[in-house]
Amino acid sequence: MTPLVQDLMGPRAADLNLRVAWGEEVLDRPIPEPAVNRPGLALTGFYRYFAHRRVQICGLAEMNYLKTLDASTRAERWRKLFEAGIPCLILARNLRVPAELLAAAQARRTPVLRTALQTSRLAQVAARVLDDLSAPMLRVQGTTVDLHGIGVLMEGPPGIGKSEIALGLISRGCSLVADDVTELRRIHNGLIATSVDVTRYHMEIRGIGILHVPSLFGVASVRREKRLDMVVRLVPGHRADIGSRIGVEPETIEILGVAIPRVTVPIAPGRDATLVIRAAALDFRLRQLGHDAVKELDEHIIESLTRGAGRVHD
Amino acid sequence: MTERKPTPGSLREATREVVVKNPLGIHARPAALLVRAASGFRSDITLEKNGQSVSAKSIMGVMSLAGYPGSKMLVRARGPDAEKAVEAVAELFEKRFHE
Repeated sequence: MTPLVQDLMGPRAADLNLRVAWGEEVLDRPIPEPAVNRPGLALTGFYRYFAHRRVQICGLAEMNYLKTLDASTRAERWRKLFEAGIPCLILARNLRVPAELLAAAQARRTPVLRTALQTSRLAQVAARVLDDLSAPMLRVQGTTVDLHGIGVLMEGPPGIGKSEIALGLISRGCSLVADDVTELRRIHNGLIATSVDVTRYHMEIRGIGILHVPSLFGVASVRREKRLDMVVRLVPGHRADIGSRIGVEPETIEILGVAIPRVTVPIAPGRDATLVIRAAALDFRLRQLGHDAVKELDEHIIESLTRGAGRVHD
Repeated sequence: MTERKPTPGSLREATREVVVKNPLGIHARPAALLVRAASGFRSDITLEKNGQSVSAKSIMGVMSLAGYPGSKMLVRARGPDAEKAVEAVAELFEKRFHE
């Protein structure tokens, strides 16, 4: 996804704390290369290799350098910088916008933004925000909960009880990330789950209607996003062919190119699926810590069988 | 018009393009009406808009589509009663969700 300059003013870029110095109407400019660049070298007059497709960041160093030049050279440098077609320019430390800069920006209808952040800090935060904004995204049907620190996405056909299970988990101290529609985005080698803005923190329970989860269960019952650790696939209980009975082979599915462990849990009427899902997630965590219950049990069985066999031969 | 595509066995598929015509778009009440209508069919029914696809049987899904007035979406049903399902859903759009 190609982010737009206006996304730098949106909720996912809140840490940047940007204000528009000029260009309120041209914020829909795309950022072709979602990265940052400090244009110091370009401002000295060396425009070859200038990363003009990136967000440009200027701080005290650039401004103080330009002060050593005469006014017409200064205007010329700014003009050339903007003529390269940069997506936008951000000034750190709430620096004032010099007249030459403003004129050059207006001539190319390019937004100029400001923030109170220090330049190095701004560069770090902007890089992270741009990574986030340009991450590959996928909307999937499924309910996501934070189960004692484990991000679990439950998928399954409508009516199987994803929301009801989530409700059960919430009342046992877990938090809701997204009900029924989960948005996933790939950051580095992991997936981050979140809900769609309009329905955030709400869930629907058949027969009751739409609930605002934090109003009923408190602020700890929801969270805005969570790294996805595993997928639980819920299937109707009569499909006895599904799933292993001992849980030895860990299955994974690929989402946006990331392999995510998946377990399949049959849901039968009257089965407390909440407890089953909770156990599945905790077992997953245990395996991550290096304990494999099945393997350990099997070793124990094999050892006792070997001993038994020895006794027969005695 | 509704497109019919017979698929092997009893699995049928039907699609139809619809337009949101009621003044407020698909807010909670129309979403609930739509989900109730869709849930009466055995087919899998989805609504597709801007490359996003959600189940028409999920109220959170339908509301998350941001069906503002004038927006177009595609109703798709797969299953034994696909044509009837698409018909019923499209009718709600056509009748402006009785608003």
